[in-house]
Amino acid sequence: MKPRLIVLLLAPALLLFALLTVYPLVRVLLLAFTATEHGFAEARFVGFENFVELQEGRAFRRAAWNTVAFALMATISELLLGLALALLLDRAFPGRRWITLVLLAPYVLSTIVVGAVWRAWFHYDIGFLNSVLRSIGLPGVPWLFDPNLALSSIVLVDVWQATPFCFLILYAGLRAIPPELHEAARMDGAGAWRRLRDVTLPLLAPYLLVAGLMRTVDSFKLFDKVYAMTGGGPGNATETLSMHVHRLAFRFFDIGLASAAALVMVVVAGLLAALYARQIMRPPA
Amino acid sequence: MISLRRTFFAAGFTAGLLLAAIAPAAAQDRLVIAGRDATFGTALASMVTAYQALNPTVRIERLELPGGQLYERIALNARERARALDVLMLDDIWAPEFMANGWLANLDQLGGVQGPFVRSADAVSRGPAGQMLAAPMVGNVAMFAFNAEILARHNIAPPTTWTQVAAAGRALQQAEPGSTPIAFRGVRGNPIVTGFIPVLGAFGGEIVNAQGRAALDSPQALAALQYFVSLRPYLPRGVETWNANEVRQAIEQGRIAIALEFWPGWAGTLDDASRSRVVGRVNLVSPPGETRGPAPMLGAWMLGVAADSPNAARAADFIRFVLSAENQKRMAIETGNPPTLTALYSDPDLVQRFRWFPAQLAALEAAQPRPRITQWNRVESILGEQLQIALIGQASPQEALAEANRQIARAMAR
Repeated sequence: MKPRLIVLLLAPALLLFALLTVYPLVRVLLLAFTATEHGFAEARFVGFENFVELQEGRAFRRAAWNTVAFALMATISELLLGLALALLLDRAFPGRRWITLVLLAPYVLSTIVVGAVWRAWFHYDIGFLNSVLRSIGLPGVPWLFDPNLALSSIVLVDVWQATPFCFLILYAGLRAIPPELHEAARMDGAGAWRRLRDVTLPLLAPYLLVAGLMRTVDSFKLFDKVYAMTGGGPGNATETLSMHVHRLAFRFFDIGLASAAALVMVVVAGLLAALYARQIMRPPA
Repeated sequence: MISLRRTFFAAGFTAGLLLAAIAPAAAQDRLVIAGRDATFGTALASMVTAYQALNPTVRIERLELPGGQLYERIALNARERARALDVLMLDDIWAPEFMANGWLANLDQLGGVQGPFVRSADAVSRGPAGQMLAAPMVGNVAMFAFNAEILARHNIAPPTTWTQVAAAGRALQQAEPGSTPIAFRGVRGNPIVTGFIPVLGAFGGEIVNAQGRAALDSPQALAALQYFVSLRPYLPRGVETWNANEVRQAIEQGRIAIALEFWPGWAGTLDDASRSRVVGRVNLVSPPGETRGPAPMLGAWMLGVAADSPNAARAADFIRFVLSAENQKRMAIETGNPPTLTALYSDPDLVQRFRWFPAQLAALEAAQPRPRITQWNRVESILGEQLQIALIGQASPQEALAEANRQIARAMAR
């Protein structure tokens, strides 16, 4: 195919990429070094002042900590649970198809709807969860207003909704493993645990990395569940970086500071993605 | 080929003519109202229905949003000059920013709005040259509510200072162990700030001083926040998530004896036997004093016409309709919406229905607005976060005030 034709065919996609990705990124990069409430027309160059303010203020550091903690807790839980479900459902039994459908249901729901429903379930006085606890003689739990518990409660919701995603990817990976390998291992006397450790997990590694990468990047962007359930409270116990940027940009209209915070997010998320990608792209041993 | 080209040309020309004919007519007959939710939303909804019945050719679209989201929507629309909104419902604390930026049309030039309005509400509706830029719809003033029957049962005199409020809470809890007799809105942001401001004022503190500088680094402000946090043992579990509905229901169901902050807009069902267990027992009065006397805080909601509204005349007409004496009385009776016309506070039907009207009018006329600064939205958000951080014990009152003051100083310097 002629190079000119290739370029012509790629041009629309490249243009879209430039408009929707490159242009906003460059704009954020430039605005991060300005003080402005709107755009470049009112912008005043302030150097690194915005980054100094982010570093000095507790709010940004707390939001960063909350985001990292959430991403770690949610991703690890979802991978482990998704793997367990995939292994469980990788064998025929009556009703497997219906169980799989039920398991996938949370994933298709709108995140805001999930947040609103769980907020009602978490209600201290009349919520479903505390009603169940009290019915078996246990005290109610301050799910969303205990600052030490609120973030974990949101992790619980995210695990409930996003585990099916990990399950799907890992299940596909399990199905891609040739059964002859398991057969050979069985004939060599390997038990279930040895086969899992030495056959299944090594071959599942790329799928685990892909699922881990996607869940990590998604968790890093957490906004809607927090918005629906706690608004970032109590205090700033659940405020994430996305919420912090949203508050700076759309409540305070401090576009310069918001751009600086967003830039930090992009850099960190990019580094994480690069680490994962490096592992995924590594040639097989 | 030639006939196909002619066909396409003719179709495109016709479509263009149709669009040109339809578009101006659509703008003429369309009214987009951005308003609040809750009881204010219900009041506005009934007005939209009534106005629609009188003007069937007008297509009215009403957005119903919580306070924070409403601010974001109308501020973004104004900044981007999106021309998507006509009537804006705005809190009086947003008015300085909207007026300074020229985001509100001059209602005097659009036919004016008939008053006379209560003095304090009228004052915050006007621009620097005295022109009316937004007309007051909700005559809200922060009041203090207590269940007189509960206090009397335990021989506690109605508190007139904040120290007496704490003492009353302590006495009630001792009399009924496990009870949580005091409540306020603990949600971070505007709710907790409006609960704190009367306390701060009574202790002699300020958020921003007359020179426009952050002023929370004072002994008075510290004393106020230490007092506020000291009420913790008397507050219900989860008060950090309490908003208007929770406080109103708690008072109506008799679960609390004192609400630090109670707005007349919440009081519509207090004496409704089908909803309330405390008919005739709850009093609304001016907030307590401490080192200073009580200073009721104004919290008016206003209706304005967006400066870039494509249908300004119609928008102004709708506002006049809503704020007429007849409709303000109707909103008061149907939803408990506090009126803003002075004359309605002596209307026999309303006074009989809302026995606290005389106290409410007195509070309204003496009410002080929050600092009239364009950065108030940001200042309130900063303070609201730090107040909740102090309340839940994530930081000491001193640390919380220091952080709030630092951030507010930065906001004021912009």
